[in-house]
Amino acid sequence: MRATIETESKRVMASGAAQPRIRISRAGMRYDAIEVFRDVDLDVGDREVVAIIGPSGCGKTTLLRCIDGLLPLTAGELRVEGEPVRGPREGVAMVFQHFGLFPWKTVAQNVAYGLKMAGQRPDAIAAKVAECIKLVGLAGFEHYYPHQISGGMQQRCGLARALAVEPRVLLMDEPFGAVDAQTREILQFELLKIWEMRPTTMVFVTHSIDEAVLMGDRIVVLKGRPSSVHEMVEVDLPRPRSRATLTLPRFAQLREHVWSTLMAEALEAEHEVKK
Amino acid sequence: MSRARARVRRVTIAASLVLGAIIWQVAGHYTSDAFWAPLSATLASLVEVVRTGVLLRQAVSSFELYLAGLVVAVVVGAPLGMLLARVGWLRVALEDYIMMLYATPMVALIPFILSIMGFGFAPKMLVVFLFAVFPVLYNTIEGARSVRPELVEVAKSFRSGEWRLWCDVLIPYTMPFTMTGVRQAIARGLVGMVAAEFFLSPSGLGQMIMMGSQNFDTAGMLAAILIIVLLGVALMDLGRHLEGRFARWRSYSP
Repeated sequence: MRATIETESKRVMASGAAQPRIRISRAGMRYDAIEVFRDVDLDVGDREVVAIIGPSGCGKTTLLRCIDGLLPLTAGELRVEGEPVRGPREGVAMVFQHFGLFPWKTVAQNVAYGLKMAGQRPDAIAAKVAECIKLVGLAGFEHYYPHQISGGMQQRCGLARALAVEPRVLLMDEPFGAVDAQTREILQFELLKIWEMRPTTMVFVTHSIDEAVLMGDRIVVLKGRPSSVHEMVEVDLPRPRSRATLTLPRFAQLREHVWSTLMAEALEAEHEVKK
Repeated sequence: MSRARARVRRVTIAASLVLGAIIWQVAGHYTSDAFWAPLSATLASLVEVVRTGVLLRQAVSSFELYLAGLVVAVVVGAPLGMLLARVGWLRVALEDYIMMLYATPMVALIPFILSIMGFGFAPKMLVVFLFAVFPVLYNTIEGARSVRPELVEVAKSFRSGEWRLWCDVLIPYTMPFTMTGVRQAIARGLVGMVAAEFFLSPSGLGQMIMMGSQNFDTAGMLAAILIIVLLGVALMDLGRHLEGRFARWRSYSP
């Protein structure tokens, strides 16, 4: 535990920032009688990519929504760029699990949404929208409606909408959870490429161990009832990462490590059901 | 294949309409004029009222009444429905009244409206309004309440204010549901219009039907009914078109 804290503070020093982008201390959340998580500590440095993984119902998504300011914590403290989070902030953007696209808006109008909310000028919006649509590979589909394009393209649109506001912190809630396996892989590698072009602080929730190891600098394993940080796994794979990363022996090692950490609990749960 | 099938369909429809017209004509010849008039006499009567301008005058009077009641029903029903969907305590307070009134056959209220408001234009408009407003209100509430929470969260995440949330999310989301209500209101409002013209001060196409019936002018009565039928069919088509326009994405679920 101490070792983790030391590496974290080193990371923060190395990035040259006086404070981490996100600082979560002793965070707790409860809905009435149900305590979801407790005593969660997590610092995320500038341009660091953190994956949150854990069994269903452990509060991964809830934690992410707290960071976005959509939900208040019931205990502890949460600071983004040094300021306590009291609601959705400028500089933080979210990619939603089920895309969250407005079905009555075209791809271009959906991508423009965040910029419009930020009160930008129409010509600036138009330029930014065109740029982001190109970045995520949706050029030519500007005037399609969400129901006319595939799930993968819909999430590209959701990603473009978040990138358009040039967030310093990008949050993603199981971003590729609702698309098929092949599309998921394609989108993972594209996201890695996009991140190399414009690195931001990124926190994402996932069910996929491969995804967590491939994309993350660190993996937060949430476990228990109420859940808390069970383990913090440092992913020391070199960047830029690509399909070749998947073949590194270190990738397999890390993958195996996270797998056994998670599966111990899954097996226990299975056993409980049988009893 | 499909073109051949479409032709069969068209021929069947035409044959059905022609057969209906023939039965109408024949039935008219074999019954007393007091009960039924042949199609030819009905059409002759129709030409007569068109020529004298009676039809236009009465139809305009009816349509004014209908449109006024319908427009007020939509203008009141849609925003009120949105408001009730967003403001919980107001909905809880009014829900039971709305259900009761929605379930009440509005014709039952006409004598009551007559004794309170008398014979003017306003009570008749109120009848059309009462017939039309509840489908709009009811469907709007249901629509606005079913708005996907994720979309509201997206708006909040991108720091939308409450006013922008209404314009960008709630109103566009609810529009197709409201339009379903409008389509129903278009049909029910027509019923309200004829009922108001029968039971309050007689006017418009309702009055033409009443007068035809009282004077044993069956052809004149059927001519007025035929106009109402055509009006109804045209308006229902318009309603379906309106609903379809706003419902393109309605089946969308990611």
